[in-house]
Amino acid sequence: MSDTTPVIPDQPEVCRTVDAEERGVWRRVMDRFADHCRARSLFVLHYCTGCGAIELPPTITSRFDMERVGVSPMVTPRQADILLITGYLSVKTLKRVILSYEQMQSPKYVLGFGSCTINGGMYWNSYATVKRLDQYIPADGFIAGCMPRPEAVQQVFLDLMKKIDAGQANAWQDYYLNYDRYLGNQMALFGEEWHTPVDVIAEAEHYGYVGDGTRGRFTEILDRHAAYALRDAPEDYPERGANERLLP
Amino acid sequence: MRPQNYRPVAHPPSHEYELYFGPNHPGIEGNYAIRVRLKGDVIQEAIADGGYLHRGFEKIMESRLWIQNVALVPRICVPDPVPMEDSYARSVEALGGLEVPERAQWIRVLMLEVSRICAHLFTFGGNAATIGLYTNMFWGVSMRDLFLDIFEEITGARIYHMYITPGGVRRDLPPGILDKLSAVIDELERRAPEFDDLFFDSTVVMNRAAGCGTMTQEQALSWGVTGPNLRACGLPFDLRRDDPYLVYPELDFDIPTETAGDALARMRVRKAEVQQSIRILRQVIARLPSVKGPIRCPLPNPLAWNVPAGEAYARAESSKGELGFFVVSNGGDKPWRVHVRGPSQMHAVQVLENLLTGARIEDIAQIMFSLDACPPEVDR
Ligand code: SF4
Repeated sequence: MSDTTPVIPDQPEVCRTVDAEERGVWRRVMDRFADHCRARSLFVLHYCTGCGAIELPPTITSRFDMERVGVSPMVTPRQADILLITGYLSVKTLKRVILSYEQMQSPKYVLGFGSCTINGGMYWNSYATVKRLDQYIPADGFIAGCMPRPEAVQQVFLDLMKKIDAGQANAWQDYYLNYDRYLGNQMALFGEEWHTPVDVIAEAEHYGYVGDGTRGRFTEILDRHAAYALRDAPEDYPERGANERLLP
Repeated sequence: MRPQNYRPVAHPPSHEYELYFGPNHPGIEGNYAIRVRLKGDVIQEAIADGGYLHRGFEKIMESRLWIQNVALVPRICVPDPVPMEDSYARSVEALGGLEVPERAQWIRVLMLEVSRICAHLFTFGGNAATIGLYTNMFWGVSMRDLFLDIFEEITGARIYHMYITPGGVRRDLPPGILDKLSAVIDELERRAPEFDDLFFDSTVVMNRAAGCGTMTQEQALSWGVTGPNLRACGLPFDLRRDDPYLVYPELDFDIPTETAGDALARMRVRKAEVQQSIRILRQVIARLPSVKGPIRCPLPNPLAWNVPAGEAYARAESSKGELGFFVVSNGGDKPWRVHVRGPSQMHAVQVLENLLTGARIEDIAQIMFSLDACPPEVDR
C-alpha cells in the first residue's frame, strides 16, 4: 500500500518515468493541494453493473441530488474518477469492469455497492457471479445492504471525499504495487489468455509504483503473449512488425 | 497487454463498420450490449449480446427452501419486482393448495398496481432521456419516489419488498397509508398535464418517436410480444382481464390500445395504463377498509415445508408483459425445477434485433427503452 517505498527504475521504457526530485517536498505539497481540490469534484462512471443501478437515478436526480455534494455522472471511463460497482458482477461483466477500470486515469477510486460486492450477498452460491470484488480490483469503500438506500450512496461519497482529502484513498496504488496478484486472480477466472489493452506495468513505472508484487509469475505469462504476437505481426502489417523487431 | 503485443487487424471497407453498443453506455438500458453493423448511420444488422447480468436464478432457486425463494424472486426484474413475488407466490399456492384470504388479495392488487405505475414512470423518464428530454427524466424519477415512499411505509423497503409470500402478505397495511396513497395519486393526476405538455405534445417527440421502431400486429404475435408493446399494435390482450387472477374480476378498468405500433404508440399506451392503474387503485382504496379478515392463511413450519408434488404455472400481467413462473415440486422442501417466463426475453432479443435492422443509429436507445426491456430479467 502507500507505505511501500516506490522503486524508481533507472531504465525508461515506454512512458516517461518520474525522476526522484519530482517527488520532493514541493511535489508532496502540490499533491496534497491537488487531493484537496480533487475531493471536491468527482465524476462517477455511468456503468450500471447490477441491480443497484436502480437506486442511482433517485440519487442523481432532484430528490437526493448527488450534485450538491460535488459528484456527477460521467459517460466515459477515461474522464471518470469513481467506478461505482452497483451490485453483483457476473464473470462476463467483470471483464468489462476491469477493462473500464484500467482505462481510467489515476488516481481512481472504486466503490462497491451492496453486499454482493462484499461477499456475494444473495448470490453466494451462484455459479455465474463473482463473490469478492476486491480480489480483482482494489476497492476504496463498500456500502453494506441489499439495495442500500440513496442516503447510503451519498454517505459513501462523503466518506470517500474525506479520505481523498486526507490523502488516504490510495487503493489504486495497490493495483500497481500488487499487479501480479490481481492479474493472477483474473487469470484464474478468465484463463491464461486473459490480457487487456492497457500496459499496467508501464503505467506502474510511470507513476513510480513498482513494488515487489508488480511483476511475478502471472505477468510473465503476459510477456509470453507479447513474444507470440511479435512473431505473428509481420503478416498483418509488415512495417510495424519490422519496427517492433528492433525493440530489445 | 504490452504495446508490442498490439496487432493491427485487417479492417472491412470504411463505409461499413461494426459498433459495439454497450454494455457501458448511457443510452443502453441496464447492463446489456448490442453489436450493430452500420452503413453510414443506418443499421444493417443488430445482434443482441446479453448475459452480463446472468446469475443463474433458476438453478439457485432449486437449492433454497420454498420460503427462502421469496427473497430471491423480486431480484429477477429490478424496476418492477412485485409481479415476480406475486406470480411465484401464486404458483406455490397452486401447488400447495393454499387459499389466499380476501384481504391479502386486495393488498396484493394494491401493490401490483403501485408497482406498475412506478415501472411506467421510470420507463417514461428513461425514454424521454434517450431523445434528449432530460426534464422528463427528472420528473418521472421524482414522481416515482413518492410511490417508493408508500412502498417503504408498507413493507420497509424501497425496491425489493419481499412482501408477498405464499399464502398471503407479510403484514397488514399500516394505519393511514390509504390516505397517503390517495394523496400521492392525486398529485400524480395533478402533474399529468405537465407531463403531457413536455412529452406527449412536444414536437421533438412527434418527430423522433412517431414511426420509429414500428411493428405490425402479425409481427408482434409471431415474435411473442406481450404487454403494452402488444397493445400498442392494436390487440387488447391483458391477462388481468383474459386470465384473471386475484380480485381483478371485481374491478372495473379498460384496456387501452393504440394502432400505430411505434415508439410513440407504446409510450401512449403506458400513459393510458397509468391512468387505468389510478382508477383501479381508487377502487381498491374505497374497498379495502371494508374487507376484514386475516392477511395470511396458516402455513406449515416454513423451514420444514414440503410442498406436495406436482407442477404449476402462474402468470401475471407485469408492466412489461406476461410474466410467469412454472414451478415443479417433487414433494421436497425445495423446488425441483423453476422456469421463469419473462417478457423482456422476447422484447430485448428477437424483437429488438428485428426492429433495429434498418433503423438509424440515434434511435437504438429510444427503441430499446420504448420496448421497456429489462436486462436483469433477460439474463436472469
Ligand atoms: S446486494 Fe442486493 S440489491 Fe445489490 S446487487 Fe446484490 S442482490 Fe442486488
